[in-house]
Amino acid sequence: MTTFTDIGPPLPALLRRLAETPADFLGEPRIGGLGDVVVPALLGDVLEELGLDPAPELLRVFAPDRARREDRNWFQLAMIAAWLLADEWLAERHPAAGPLADLLTRGLRELAGQVRADLTVSDPDRREELARTFLARLGYRPEGESAAAAADRLTMISAAERRRLIEASRAAEQRAREVREALARKAAAESADKWTRE
Amino acid sequence: MTGEPTDEERYPTLSEAGRQLLRHMREHPHAPIFRNASGNRLTAGDLAEVLAHERSLGPPPAGGAPPAWLRDHVADVYARVPYYRALGAPPARLADVPAVSRAELAADIARFVPDDLPLERMINFQTTGTTGHRMLVPSHPQVAARYLAFHKRALARFGIAPTYGAGRVGVMLIGHQQPCFTYVSVTPAMDESGLAKINLHPGDWRDPADRARYIDALEPEFIAGDPLSFAELLTLDLDWRPRALLSVAMMLSDGLRAALEERFGCPVLDLYSMNEVGPIGVFDPALGGHVLLQDRLFVEVGDEAGRALADGEEGEIIVSGGFNFCLPLLRYRTGDRGRLSSVGGERLILDLEGRAPVRFRDGRGEWRNNIEVSHALKHLPLAQFSLLQRADGSFELGLAERSLGEAGRAVAALHGLLGPVLISVVPQSNGKHLQYRSELGSEMSEIGP
Repeated sequence: MTTFTDIGPPLPALLRRLAETPADFLGEPRIGGLGDVVVPALLGDVLEELGLDPAPELLRVFAPDRARREDRNWFQLAMIAAWLLADEWLAERHPAAGPLADLLTRGLRELAGQVRADLTVSDPDRREELARTFLARLGYRPEGESAAAAADRLTMISAAERRRLIEASRAAEQRAREVREALARKAAAESADKWTRE
Repeated sequence: MTGEPTDEERYPTLSEAGRQLLRHMREHPHAPIFRNASGNRLTAGDLAEVLAHERSLGPPPAGGAPPAWLRDHVADVYARVPYYRALGAPPARLADVPAVSRAELAADIARFVPDDLPLERMINFQTTGTTGHRMLVPSHPQVAARYLAFHKRALARFGIAPTYGAGRVGVMLIGHQQPCFTYVSVTPAMDESGLAKINLHPGDWRDPADRARYIDALEPEFIAGDPLSFAELLTLDLDWRPRALLSVAMMLSDGLRAALEERFGCPVLDLYSMNEVGPIGVFDPALGGHVLLQDRLFVEVGDEAGRALADGEEGEIIVSGGFNFCLPLLRYRTGDRGRLSSVGGERLILDLEGRAPVRFRDGRGEWRNNIEVSHALKHLPLAQFSLLQRADGSFELGLAERSLGEAGRAVAALHGLLGPVLISVVPQSNGKHLQYRSELGSEMSEIGP
């Protein structure tokens, strides 16, 4: 659930923090033996710093028994969100456990479906999308914005990206069809000379 | 180019001399029944690019460190290939790229083809492999033609450079199976030397004796085939001596290699090659392993989770890169197994074995693996064999019909390895077989080259 009840930090400060995400938060999350950043440990440390006692089941979400390579982008977003969470402004306010869990699981998982994690650091629009999603899921709106304006801006920036994604996904489907058709042509099946045939 | 291809499409640059050679190969009085048509499909522009690619080849890898080109390759594949784009940002290290299996490719190969690849001239090589996942490997006439550069590199290790040009037959590809795709063509990069792909199965000939007559008449510089077709070649009354034999597709036993070398008085190259990436390595008897051939193919050996293993450790062969620009691979699990080593500035695959390991329980209750079985039988000139352990612990040794004469020695060799077990011998039909299988409860796993 997204609300904009409380006044949060100024957006530029959060965007600047995102742009300056240290390499430690941009590493490769450990999934199925690959990657070296243990996301539950990273999140656990940050949440404890915030004075929160993270629920083990929340952390376990980021160490699944069965590796799913499509989780990688979500886990990377969670790592970047951990860097935002470690911000001084937030640390002083002790965010509630419920919204925090919602952000890390549902919120970032949804975002992972439409935004590549590294772009939330390097691309201005995607940076803003993460910053606004982050604040909204925790119940904040950027300082100096009304709740309505914050909601509108987040909808606008997300919708534009979703539209782009839908178009890209349609194009990808079309392309895959064309590749399959090209492979199935008689001329393709007749193939071409090789000096050896495996 | 949606219907039946024309000869202009099959041989875009064909000269009059090339046309005459095609006619000679096709209409020779002892020629087989050619059942199909294909060609090199190379335009003049393609040929120039194929030759430029050959000139640009760097040396094969000498050590195991990831080469410099790999980083850009990873970024490029994550940007242009739909399957990888869906995984997010490119990892900084190759080790963090998840390994993909043949099953994943076979599930939807289209997702592994780069977005910007023109499709008009795409061709395919069909492969069923031995894992049962039928797959159409996307390719291009230039990619098929690039094989020759690596064959030359492999031949050079044996002091041989192809020389046959116009009017002569450069290579004869032999099969021994029904059905078999057969046709004639010319190789533009070799001044239109001839290429004949024939089937040694008697059903493809007016007179079975024509097989030897045709090969003798065409005098191919090289003969390419697999252990099954080479075993058949040994039975023919041939006078012609090619300069080398190129064996691919299946494990070549030391015994069959020795028999072929003695019979034809030429080197027999055991090439490790896959439709997905082309020639990977050639066996060097002096080094005891397959020497890597490609400069832009990174070869790793990985564990069950796809994690890279150190040199000397046995595991699955995983490849990245390659010259097939229609299918740029990243950490592709080949299903074959071996160990990596560097010897004298060369990179080698030792103990190359086709597909996943299978364990067999011997007569003393100890576990033996398929590599040990291969070693036990390798001195025999077997064209092809399979070994199945039944649920009751007994064994069934499948032998190609021509190898049944070796049954006694093969069973003795297996008893030497497995001890007191029941072994029955069954004749195999032609074609590919799962080489190793076990039906012992949860140990059941299979697959063979």
